[in-house]
Amino acid sequence: MSTILECKGVTKAFGDKEALSDVNMNIDQGRIIGLLGPNGSGKTTLIKLANDLLTPTSGEIRIAGMKPGIETKKLVSYLPEKTYLNDWMRVHQIIELFMDFYKDFKPEKAYDMLKRLNINPNDRLKFMSKGTKEKVQLILVMSREAKLYLLDEPIGGVDPAARDYILETIITNYKEDATVVISTHLISDIEKILDHVVFINNGRVVLSSSADEIRNEKGKSVDALFREVFKC
Amino acid sequence: MLSKLLKYEIKATARIFLPLMAVLLVFAGVNKLISSLSQNQWQAPEIISLILYITILVGILVMTLVVMIQRFYKNLLTDEGYLMFTLPVKVWKQITSKLVVAMMWTIVSGIAALVSIFIIAYDKIFTEQFMGAFKGSYIFEYFNLTTAIFILEFLLLCLVSMASNVLIIYASIALGHLFNRHRILASIGAFIVLSTASQILFTVVGYAFGSMYSSVNISSIQDFQAFASLVHSSMWFFIIFFGLLSAGYFALTNYILSRRLNLE
Repeated sequence: MSTILECKGVTKAFGDKEALSDVNMNIDQGRIIGLLGPNGSGKTTLIKLANDLLTPTSGEIRIAGMKPGIETKKLVSYLPEKTYLNDWMRVHQIIELFMDFYKDFKPEKAYDMLKRLNINPNDRLKFMSKGTKEKVQLILVMSREAKLYLLDEPIGGVDPAARDYILETIITNYKEDATVVISTHLISDIEKILDHVVFINNGRVVLSSSADEIRNEKGKSVDALFREVFKC
Repeated sequence: MLSKLLKYEIKATARIFLPLMAVLLVFAGVNKLISSLSQNQWQAPEIISLILYITILVGILVMTLVVMIQRFYKNLLTDEGYLMFTLPVKVWKQITSKLVVAMMWTIVSGIAALVSIFIIAYDKIFTEQFMGAFKGSYIFEYFNLTTAIFILEFLLLCLVSMASNVLIIYASIALGHLFNRHRILASIGAFIVLSTASQILFTVVGYAFGSMYSSVNISSIQDFQAFASLVHSSMWFFIIFFGLLSAGYFALTNYILSRRLNLE
């Protein structure tokens, strides 16, 4: 199995505060990985570095063997924790934008999911609630047939009913050789779909293990282990 | 990919500019209509419509600047940048698309302003004389290859200096982005530094260039030949100067956005 995401001594400082310190990890193809940690632990920073939205202070990230750039952007489908949609657009216009720029984007998938979630493609993004915008963004991201999905808090802002549908969408929409990285602190909701978990705290990786290992060897759920490791 | 970026950039800006220009032209027409109805007397409706027209005209000119800054800053360096910078597109194409469309609207709104002034100033006698100046008059007798080249050089100069004016703003915003805090304030500071530095550079290089031509003095018709060549070379001096300046600003912006990007 080949490595899709590789971090070598990745450090990122903002001023004199280190958001990530010497992060080393390899993520294999074809898995669903939970990037778990409390607020401000560095999850978002790591994902942004992989998307070339931040420049590392030292160390390097490689995606499919390449440094973040045009070629990796073709492979990575990224859901940021912010709403990046242009307010003035309608849903179908943003779908057209994705069709124009991403070769792996499947519009029929997107329209299908919009229908399931009762979102009208002619609605303006401006008049949508935050939760609906998040759904639209997730639909856009999951309608690509990417090699690596980087999902930053994909279920944070949506209601529990939509949460189930979204998780189902994530599982059913990715191909065998694709990898999904989900960053979240809502562990119990996603625990059942994870193959592997990475715990991150204060900018450092504190644990990296398969979900089965945690359950079998430690006899605990990932959620319980998380509460133990990050006890306040 | 550049053409697609241009398409979206035009879509995003046209929805602001086209209605504004339509309103401008309509108000120019309304002005004309009202002033042709009331004879030689300044009436309230006339004054009000004129004030409105001028407000819209100034508004358009201000909007070209505001939209230019806003499209670059908001679309690339705030939340919307998360989308723009994860598209598989080279950074220089992003900058180029913003630059080209900003210049396009500057030109188009300039033309709209001229047309609106023409509508208001339209008057049978005036217009006939104005057009008459072009038709069958001396003006085309002077029009030869030299004047054509002059006009071409002048247009090129306009374009290059316009580009440098847009790019100095982009470069300032990019420089401000290098700071962790107070990025907008830092951008304003960067703009002051960049424009001062460019002016000093212009003065120094311009002085050196000027000293080469210090011997030219026009006292007879023969000197006019030398004068024409002086104008040509000054034109090219300005074109090259602003061209290099633009290239410098562009390279700086491109470097920061591709190697030093840190979206908040």
